[in-house]
Amino acid sequence: MTSVAAVPVAETFPLSPHAERGGLKARERRVGWLFLAPALTAFALVILYPFLRALGLAFTRSDLQTPEPIFIGFDNFRTIFASPEILGSFVTTFIYVAAVTIGTVILGLAWALILNQPFRGQTTLRALSLIPWVLPSTVTAFVWGWIFNSRFGVLNAVLVSAGAIPFPTAWLSTPTGAMVAIVITKVWFSIPLFMSFFLAGLQGLDRDQIDAARVDGANNWNVLKDHILPHLKPVLLVVIVLGVIGNLQHFDTIYALTGGGPVRATSVLSIEVYRRAFDQWDIGMASAVGLLWVATILPAAYFYLRHLLKGA
Amino acid sequence: MSNFSMTRRSFGAMAAGAAAGMALRPAAAQTPGVTFMSFTYAEEPNKPHVQKLLDGYASKGGAVEPIGSAWGDMQKNILLRQRSKTLPTTAQLSERWLPSMAQLPEIVNLDEAIGRAKLESMIDPKVLAMGQAGGKTFGLPLITGSVGMVANKEVLAKAGVEVPTTLAEFRKALEVIRDKVPNSVPFAAATKNPNSIPLDFMIMVWAHGGRIIDESGKVLVNSDAAKAALGFMADLMKNRLMAPELDRPDSRRLFGQGAAGFYIDPPQARGFARSFSGRGEAADAFVLPVKTPVLKAGDASKSIQWGHLIVAFKGPNTASADAPGIKWLNYLLSDEAQGSFPTALSALPVTKTAQALPVVKNDAFFTAWNEASGTPLVNEIGVWSNAPELSTILSEEVQAAILGQKPADAAIVSMASRMEASMAKRQN
Repeated sequence: MTSVAAVPVAETFPLSPHAERGGLKARERRVGWLFLAPALTAFALVILYPFLRALGLAFTRSDLQTPEPIFIGFDNFRTIFASPEILGSFVTTFIYVAAVTIGTVILGLAWALILNQPFRGQTTLRALSLIPWVLPSTVTAFVWGWIFNSRFGVLNAVLVSAGAIPFPTAWLSTPTGAMVAIVITKVWFSIPLFMSFFLAGLQGLDRDQIDAARVDGANNWNVLKDHILPHLKPVLLVVIVLGVIGNLQHFDTIYALTGGGPVRATSVLSIEVYRRAFDQWDIGMASAVGLLWVATILPAAYFYLRHLLKGA
Repeated sequence: MSNFSMTRRSFGAMAAGAAAGMALRPAAAQTPGVTFMSFTYAEEPNKPHVQKLLDGYASKGGAVEPIGSAWGDMQKNILLRQRSKTLPTTAQLSERWLPSMAQLPEIVNLDEAIGRAKLESMIDPKVLAMGQAGGKTFGLPLITGSVGMVANKEVLAKAGVEVPTTLAEFRKALEVIRDKVPNSVPFAAATKNPNSIPLDFMIMVWAHGGRIIDESGKVLVNSDAAKAALGFMADLMKNRLMAPELDRPDSRRLFGQGAAGFYIDPPQARGFARSFSGRGEAADAFVLPVKTPVLKAGDASKSIQWGHLIVAFKGPNTASADAPGIKWLNYLLSDEAQGSFPTALSALPVTKTAQALPVVKNDAFFTAWNEASGTPLVNEIGVWSNAPELSTILSEEVQAAILGQKPADAAIVSMASRMEASMAKRQN
C-alpha cells in the first residue's frame, strides 16, 4: 500500500494574481449567468412582469370607470363563479380542447401510418402534407371562413347544387356548426405537426417484429394495438400533452372565424379574456379569468415538464 | 504616414462623447409632431378624403401625421396607447364612444383649449352636445347626421314594391324582395358585431314604442314593446328576410352590389354605395333615404343621432390654444375643411356657416335624408360610460333570439337583468 503525503498547496503553489476568484467553477457559473441574462431579462420583461401585473389586477376593479385600479379582494372570482356565462366558457374550452386533441391525434396518427408505407410519391406527399401547418393561422381561418360562409361558401354551393339542402345554410350561426367549424380548422392545420411527431416515432419501429406478428396471424388492428401504439407511447404522451396546452391557449383562428359567437357558443377562455379586456375594457375581470385560464393549463404543463425532466 | 496614437483613456473619452452625441442628436430632432388617429383614414374608399383634408392643412403650413386604425379596433388602440403612454395628439371617435373615452385622464377639455363661447358660436348646440360629457366638451364634432334607413331603389323596382310605411308593410315588402330578387338579403340588418347590433335593435324597439334605458339610467327594456320588436326581428331571420353573419360593412357591400333591399346606416351610405357599386356618383340614383317603418301609420319615424368627433390628448402639442394640435382642431372647423370633407363622406358639416353653403343646401340627398330622419334621438346605450358592456349584453341577447337559441321574451328578460346589474355596478 502506498501512502500519499499531504501536499501544502498554498505554500508550494501560490495562486496566480490572474486566477479567478472562487476558482474555475465559480467563473463558469458567472459566465453561465451572463449567457442566461438576455433570455432571463426578456422572460422577466415579456412574461414574468405582465403575469405578476395580471395577478395583481385580478384582485382589483380596473375598468374605464376606474382611472386607478381599486383593490376588491376576491370579488372578481366570486363574480366568475356566479356567472353562468363565464362558467360556460370553461365548458366550451373543455369541449374544444377535447375535440381538437382527440381529432388531431387520431387523424395525425392515421396520416403518419399512411405516409410510413412505401409507395411512389411518398416523399412529395410528405412535403405537401406540411402546407396547412406552414400557412399563417389567420389565412387558414379565412380559407375555412370562406368555405363555411353562408352566402358565398363552397360548402353551401356544393350542397345546394347537389340538392342536399334547399338554400344556403349559415353554418357559423348555429352553436354546433360554429364549434364544428373551429374544431375542423384547428385539426386541419395541426395534423401535419402531430403527423411529423408520429412519423419520426415510427422510424424506430422494428419492421421484423411487425412481419413476425403478421406471420403469426395478426391483422392490422392487432398490429396497431399490440405493436405500434406501445412503441409510440412516449411520443403519444408528449403529443397529447403539447396538444392540450396548445389548444387551451388557442385564439387566432377562433377569433377570426367566429369571434367567440354565435352569442357565446365558441367563447373559449382565450376569447373570453380578450372580450373582457378589449370589448368591455374590464381589465380586472379579464385578469381574473386569465388567472383561472393559466390554472387550467398548469396540470398539462406539469405533466409535460415532468416527462421532459425524467427524460433528461 | 501619419503618426497617430491614442491612449486607452482618450479612446474611452471619445467613445463616450460619440455616444452622448448620438443620444442628444435624436432628442433634438424628435420633437413629436401632431398625429391624427383616424378610422376614416383606414377605410379605403374614404382615405383620399382624409388625405385631402391633411393636404389642405399642410397648405396652411400645418403638418399632421395620419395613423389609420380600423373602426372596430379604434377604442382598443386608443386604450392600449394610453396604457403605454403613446397616445396620438388627436383621434377620431364615433359619437357613442365619447362617454367611455371621456374617462381617460389624458383627454383635453376643449372648452378650455378652444373656448366654449367660440364652439357655441360656430356649432349648433344639438350637434355640439354629441361631443359633451359631464357638461364639458371633450369631442369636437367633425361630421354629423343620423342613423336611419336606406332603400335600394333598383332592388325595390326589380321586386315591384313601394317604400313601406308601417312594419307590416315593411315585412310584406321584404317577402316580395326575397322571392323576386334571388340571392338577396331583403333587410341587411347587423347581426354579428356587438358594436353594430345595438343601433338596429334600438330603432326596432323605438318603432314598437319601447325604450331601452331612460335618461336617468333606468333599464326599461323589459317591456312588451321590446319583446315585440325582438320577436319581429327573430321572425324576419326565421323567414330569411334578414341574414346572419352580417356586420355593417357586409351590409354596405350587399347594398352597393344590389343584393340588399334595405339597411340601417348614417348618410355615409351614399359614399359606400358609390364605392362598392363601382359606379361612382351614378350610384346616387339608387340610394334612397327612407323613413324607418312605424307600428301604425301616422307614428313618428325614428332615427338615431350620429356623428364623428375629434378628441385631443394632453401633451406638448395641445398644451395651449396656440399649440399645433389645437390649431389643427381649429382648422377642422374652418369653412375650407367643413365645406368639403363632410360632404365628400356624404355626411353633414357641423358648423353653422358650412351647413349654409350651397354644396350642402342644394344637395338633394341631404334634403331627402333630413326629411326621412325627422328629429334624431340620442343613442340610449352609447351615452353611458359602461356602454361597451351594455352593447355586449344587448348584442348577445339579440343574437340568441334571432338565431333561435332563446325565445325573444326570455332574451329580453335576461337582457334587462344583465343590464340592470351593469348599471348598478356603474353607479357604485
